[in-house]
Parts: sequence; structure tokens; C-alpha cells
Amino acid sequence: MLCLLLPQFAAADGPPKNSNYPEGVSAVNPGSELWSAIRQRDGTVLQGTSQVRGVDSGILINARGDQWARFRVSKLANYGGIAIAAVFVILLIFFVIRGQIRIEGGASGNLVRRYTSYERIVHWTLAIVFLLLALTGVILLLGRPLLIPLLGKEVFGLLASASKEGHNLIGPLFLVSLIMMLFSYVRKNLYEKGDLKWLLRGGGVIGKEKLSVGFFNMGEKIWFWLLMLVGLVVAISGLVLLFPNFGQGRFIMEISHVIHSIGALALFCISLGHMYMGSVGMEGALDAMTTGYVDINWADGHHDRWGKECHDKNLVISAEEYARLQGKKPAAGGDVAT
Amino acid sequence: MGSIIFASRKQDLSVARASASAGAIKTIFSRFLPHKEIAAQVSIQYIAGYLFHLGLFALLFFAAPHVLFVEENLLGFGWTPLPHWGFIIAAQAAFLGLIILWLRRMVDPVLRLISTLDDHIAAILTFVVMLTGCFALLEGSTGLRLLHRFTVELWLIYFPFSALMHSFTFLPSRAFTGAWFGRRGVDS
Amino acid sequence: MSEKLEKGLEVLRSEVDSKVKSFFSSCVNCGICAESCLFYTETRDPRYTPIYKTEPLRKLWRNEYSFWGKIASTLGFSKPMTESDLTDWEELVYDGCSMCGRCSMVCPVGVDISGMIFKVKHALAKAGISPEGLVGATQRAVDIGSPMGITLTTVHATIKHVEEDTGLKIPMDVEGADYMALLSSNEIALYPEYLESLAKIFDHAGVSWTLSSDAFEATNSGLQIGNKAIAGQLVQRVVDGAEKLKVKNVISPECGHAYTALRWEGPNFIGKAYSFKVVHIMELLDELFAAGRIKTSGMESERLTFHDPCSIVRRGGINAQPRNLLESISENFIEMADHGNMNWCCGGGGGVSSNERAEDLKLTVFNKKKSQIEATGATGVVTACSNCRMVMEEGVETNEMDIELLGLTEMIAAHLEDRPN
Repeated sequence: MLCLLLPQFAAADGPPKNSNYPEGVSAVNPGSELWSAIRQRDGTVLQGTSQVRGVDSGILINARGDQWARFRVSKLANYGGIAIAAVFVILLIFFVIRGQIRIEGGASGNLVRRYTSYERIVHWTLAIVFLLLALTGVILLLGRPLLIPLLGKEVFGLLASASKEGHNLIGPLFLVSLIMMLFSYVRKNLYEKGDLKWLLRGGGVIGKEKLSVGFFNMGEKIWFWLLMLVGLVVAISGLVLLFPNFGQGRFIMEISHVIHSIGALALFCISLGHMYMGSVGMEGALDAMTTGYVDINWADGHHDRWGKECHDKNLVISAEEYARLQGKKPAAGGDVAT
Repeated sequence: MGSIIFASRKQDLSVARASASAGAIKTIFSRFLPHKEIAAQVSIQYIAGYLFHLGLFALLFFAAPHVLFVEENLLGFGWTPLPHWGFIIAAQAAFLGLIILWLRRMVDPVLRLISTLDDHIAAILTFVVMLTGCFALLEGSTGLRLLHRFTVELWLIYFPFSALMHSFTFLPSRAFTGAWFGRRGVDS
Repeated sequence: MSEKLEKGLEVLRSEVDSKVKSFFSSCVNCGICAESCLFYTETRDPRYTPIYKTEPLRKLWRNEYSFWGKIASTLGFSKPMTESDLTDWEELVYDGCSMCGRCSMVCPVGVDISGMIFKVKHALAKAGISPEGLVGATQRAVDIGSPMGITLTTVHATIKHVEEDTGLKIPMDVEGADYMALLSSNEIALYPEYLESLAKIFDHAGVSWTLSSDAFEATNSGLQIGNKAIAGQLVQRVVDGAEKLKVKNVISPECGHAYTALRWEGPNFIGKAYSFKVVHIMELLDELFAAGRIKTSGMESERLTFHDPCSIVRRGGINAQPRNLLESISENFIEMADHGNMNWCCGGGGGVSSNERAEDLKLTVFNKKKSQIEATGATGVVTACSNCRMVMEEGVETNEMDIELLGLTEMIAAHLEDRPN
């Protein structure tokens, strides 16, 4: 007990040189070794025993937890936020320099179906779930430094609570949507001859010779597989975090959180590029996933092998036929549907 | 509902081959499943539809906060609610089903032609009610619980005489059609 | 407001009953009905979605009977109905709907969609918004007695041929007979074998029967065009003829909508129950068979399948009888994959076959029946409706299919065992 009192009397620096203090005795605080060990400054994790029964209840102080907390704020949130902002900036610069990639030769008016109703439903289900999770996730990670100054603590409290519950409840749906997407799109995302060449030529940026592309180009395939694999990791780590009733200790939870966040941030950044290319970045791209149809010139220009298949199988339809399939009234005096 | 149930109906003067009331009752139950001849073409509607409806039904009547609400404010008694994991599964199913169904309404040419503003409002309003409910799950924030109660009130005001009334009118409708086919001796 | 619009809206209003209110309150626009309708599945045109065909009635209900609609109308927000709300739907309900009733079978909330399409037809017909072909047929039916313009003289000529070929007498205007047989114009003009078969079968089975010179026509063009008043007028002719001859039963021939018109809707059109029973020829043949009064010999060995006429099977309830009959004369019978109550329409019912404008569409939607037939591998398709038979013969010819179309009554007659007189 007395030893505990001694640290108060330990002189850290010694007496001031120009004073009349008698020289004191320098002694190591006998409690400091104990406290150093407890505090795990040398990195060893001490497992004690406790009357409380539970996972990790034998750990008095989790020094690594402090590291994790600091990592989360100073590195993860910090660099994560910078990365997201950087992606926006890069996309803006890209748009300013390159502009919208137009259809070669302009739109012809003749269309071909690229995605069925089911494929579009699966894509947009995943997209909605992903965006809900991304939004709530970003609020959870970056909310405090960015939003408290803007909204104040009470409103942010509501927002953060809502985001946590929303993120947790919608989370498992991401795994389900991912699996639906996998089954729907996997066949078109398998490796084909010419994909590596496409990649090495940067998708056509390098070199003059025109590249041949199938239904999906290598960039799209890489995004698909990244989404599937990293998405799976994010989903599973998310499930680990969501259901801590299976004996996960602090270490597993910390690691899961780090994997979850880095994976999710990576996916979010790349998805911004995907969203850019699928909307503003490329003429006719958004129509593909909303109406399901693309102009045949778009197909021939960007996915020549698929375009050729459409020509061979007689799948190209006129603008009138497209209107008929959408239920537009035929022009007065026109023939009824044949 | 009153004008549907209590209106007088013209008597059918033809000789029935079989019982109309039996047909009515049978059809109330038979329409829960698709005819096998078209089942493959309508699988999305039935699968997503049941995910949504069963999930929502489970949530509405068996989520613990709801049961408590009924006990404290409406009936004075409650019943056994879902365990937490049951609630989570029901919520997942309801969300997934509703998202898929609403997206289908946006994407399929037939639904794009026949859908009305009413259909979209019904879907989105229901989604917002479910979402605010999910936000308020922690039950610690009065603000979020109020938001949920508010959206529920909006939903209840919108309910009568909107597409949402199908939750009641499907019974007389199935019965009418079942009776029509039933008196002709046809199982529908 | 134009006269057409006024008349059309007046009739639509008269058609809004508790069923209609229930149905439109229940419909959530799920689109399942589209997948059951061959006009949609064979053209992929969303405008043929069954519930879309009821739009004129629905708009009226929405504007004048629904809660939000009434509020919107009072506040001046709603769009009043215009003539094009009726005229734009003429093609959809007359060309693009054969009243087959498949949609009413599949609706998950139980809407009787085809019943409501008929209500729309009623309004369009009374407003004078109908295809020329049907208007002409209805006029001929009222003035001459038959939509195809067939007179009693033609009937007598047919009777003469049949009597010569069979050596049997065709009874005409016999008072007190058990059964009064009706004929459809189609049968008189294209398939006189039907009358011949009746003569043979009734002679074989010892049935007391007669034709009526006042009421020989079964076809009801009023029903096809949707004009309930004219439909009632044509039914009344049959009722008057049957009552004059004091017959116990009237036989509805191998004609789909005639059975609907006479057996099920007729008493409601004329506002009075009948003093006689109405029986379809299939029902009668099955009864006679069961009673042992018809004996057949020999079996057809060619692979046969059966096309279920919509108005007789799905909307008429006569499902088992054709199959019982076929079993007794066919040793190689195969059902279509979708058969019975859920079989697909031939595409020509509900007046579509009398509507020249709908010819191309009718041939396009025949593709469904074509694929059904091909999947069975049958070389012969048996049916119990002369309109279905005619429509399918045309479809089979256009598609150069090697298929024969056969009438069931004819086949029974062809297999009758010889009986000593």
C-alpha cells in the first residue's frame, strides 16, 4: 500500500540546480514495473483470471485496443476520408480532360437488349443495399469529425444511432444480394482470350490497334471479381461484428473491424469509378442498366464480339419495335402488332 | 369495404352446376399458390412477394416493440413476440422482398405501363416506415422512435382507399371470382 | 362531350357494381395476368396485359367512385375521360382479347379480369365503337337470323343433303320432343358433318329430338360484340322456339360462346329463368354413353390430342366429358402439357375470328397453340367447338403443319357400332 503512495514522491527530474534543495535520493518507483507489465508496454498480452466468466474477461487492460482506437481515428478515418475525396477529384479531372466517351459514329436508333429484367433487378437491389450501407458506414466512420461541427451533437446523435441500426439490419442483405448477383452474372465474367491484352493496353489507352472485347471487358470483370471477393470478406467480417455471440474476443472483433473498414472503403472508392463510368462517363451506358437496351453502335463500338453475336442472331431491333415492346401506342393508321 | 360487402347483388338466374359458395371458399385459399402452368414465368412475383408479405406480417404483429405497443396502448394484453433473431430474419426478408418488387415495378415494361402513382407511393411509404422502424431499433432515441411513429401515422392516413386496401379486399374479390367459376363447376 | 363518349360513360357507370369496386380496390398492378394471356406472351406488347384492357372502366371507377378520385375531381385535379379513352381501347378489347378467361384464373387477388373486359365491350358496343366485321355480323344476326347470313332455306338444303347421305330423317318442328338441337352458322356452312353425326347418334341411341325452323341458330353475335340487349334478343328467339315446341332440353352445339350465351348468361340477359334445361352436346353424349345407350367399336390409332375450347371447359365447366368420350375411341391419346382448365385459347374466340382487322394478330398468337401441338407429337387435334376448329385449321395451314383437325361429335358418330333397327 505504501509503495503505491511512493510514485507521488518520485522526483522525475531531480532538484533544480540553482536552488538550496538538499540532493534527494533517486529511486525507481517499485510499482512502476507492475504497472508497466499491466499496461503491456512491451507488447505482451497478460491473461489473468477473474471471477467474471466470459471471453477476454481475464484481460484487465487491453493495450492493443487503445492502438486500434487510435488507428481507427488517425489512420483509417483520416486516410479513408482522403481516399474518398481523392477519388471524387480524380473523376472530376478525368471528366474535364477526357469528357464523356461518346458512341462511335453516333447513335443509330437501332437497339439490342443487353440486360434482362431480372439482371437489372438484381443489379439495382445490390446497388441500393450497397449505397445504404456505404452511406451509413461513412457516417459511422467519418461522422464525428465532419458532421458534429455541421449538425451539432444532438442531431448527430440521432443520425449516428439511426446509421448504426440501419447498417446492422441491411448488412446481411448485402451478402444475399451479392450471391444473387454472382449467380446472375458469373458466366459473362469468366476469363476470355484477349482479356489480358486489354488489361496490358490499359483498355485501349496504350497502343493504336483496336482491341476486341466480349460482353464484358477486363476492367468490368476485374470490378466484378473484386466486388465478389472483397465483398464476401466485407460481408463475413460484418457478420462476425454483428453477431458477437460466438466467442469472439476483442482481438477478433478489432481485426474484423479493420478488415471490414478497409475492404468497404476500397469497394466504395472503386464503386465511385463504376458509378461514374456507368452514368456520366459513357454515352448510353446508363440506358443499358435502366432500360436494358443499348444502341447497336454502342455495342459494336465497345463490345465488338458481343455486337457481332447480336447481328448474327438477328437480335437487333428498330426504334419502333422497341417502342412497341414498351407498350407505346402505335401511330394512327399503323398496322397492329405482327 | 361497406359498399362492397353490403351492396345488393343481382341474382344469377341460370341453373348452377355446382356450389358457388364452395367455389368462393376454395378460391380464397387456392390463389395463394400460382397455377403450375405459369409458375415459372411468375416466380419472382411470388417469391419476392411472399418474402415481403410474410416478413412484414411477422414484423407488424410479432416484433417485440409492436407487441408492447398493443399491450400498453390498444388492447391491454399482448402475446409472445418473436425472439430477436426471428425479428432480424423477418426484417431482412421484408426489406429484400420489397426492394425487389419495387425495382421490378420500375424495370418491367408491363408494370411500367400499368403502374400508377398510387402503386409507387404505397411501396415507398411502406419502405420508409420499415426503414425508420429499423433506425429506431436501439429504442434509446426518442427522436427516432417519434420519426417512426410519425411515418406510421402517414401510412395509416394513406391506407384507406389506396392500393394498400388490397390487404382486405382480396378476400371478397377471390370469393366473387371463386363463386363465378364455382357455380359453373370449375375449380379456380 | 360527344354522343359516343356520353353513351359509353353511361354504360360504364351502369356496370360498376360491388364486384367491380372490390376488384379495382384489390388490383395492385402486379402483372401476373400478362403471363397468362396469349396475346401478351406471343407479341410481348405490354398493352395486351389483361388488366390494362379494363382501363376505360378503371378510369371511370377511379374518377367517380374511389376516395382519392372523388376528392381530386371535386378539387379539379383529375383529368376527365375523353373519347380517345374509349376509342383507343377498341383494338385492345376486340382484336387483342378472346374472352378466354385465363387471366381470371391466375390473378392472385382474385380479380375476374375477363368479366370486366366484357363490361368494357358492352360500353364500346353501345357507344358504336366496335369493329366493322362484328357490327355487320350482329346486324345480320338480328335481321336475317344468322351472322353469316344463313337463312332457313340454306338450312333446309343442308338437311336435304344429310338426309340423302344418311338415309335418316331430320326431325323439324316436332312438338314435345325431348331435345331441341341448335346449330351454329359455322357448322351449317363449314361442317355439315355435325348435323349428320347428330342424326346418326340420335338414331343409334334412340333419342327423341328436333330442329326448330324458328330457332336454329346458336351463334350469339350480341355476346361477341358485347351488346347485352342484342344478346338477350337472340337468346329470346331460342327460348321462344323451345317453348313453342314444348321441349324439355335444348342442345348447345359444338360452339364455344353459344354455350356461354345460352347456358350461363342467357337467363340474365332476358331477365327470366328457362322452363327447359340447356345441355352441351358433349354433356349429352357423355350421359348417353354412361347410360349404355351409345356403343362404339374400333379405336383410332393415330396420336391424338385435345384442344379445350375456353368457353366450354374453363368457362363452362365441361372438362371431364370430352376426355371420357375420347378415351372410348382413342388408344393413342396424349394431353397437351397445359390442358383442361388452364389450356391456351386458339386465339379466335370472343369475336376475334369474325373481325378481319384482327387476322394478322390472330395468326401471330396461334404460335402458342402451334408449340403446344408440336410438343405432343400428335398428328390429329380433336376439339368440341367449330370456331376453334376453323381458327386452328387456318393456323395449321398458314404454318404448313401436317395436322388434321377433328370434331369430337363426328368422331363418335364415325365409331358407332352397327345396331339392328
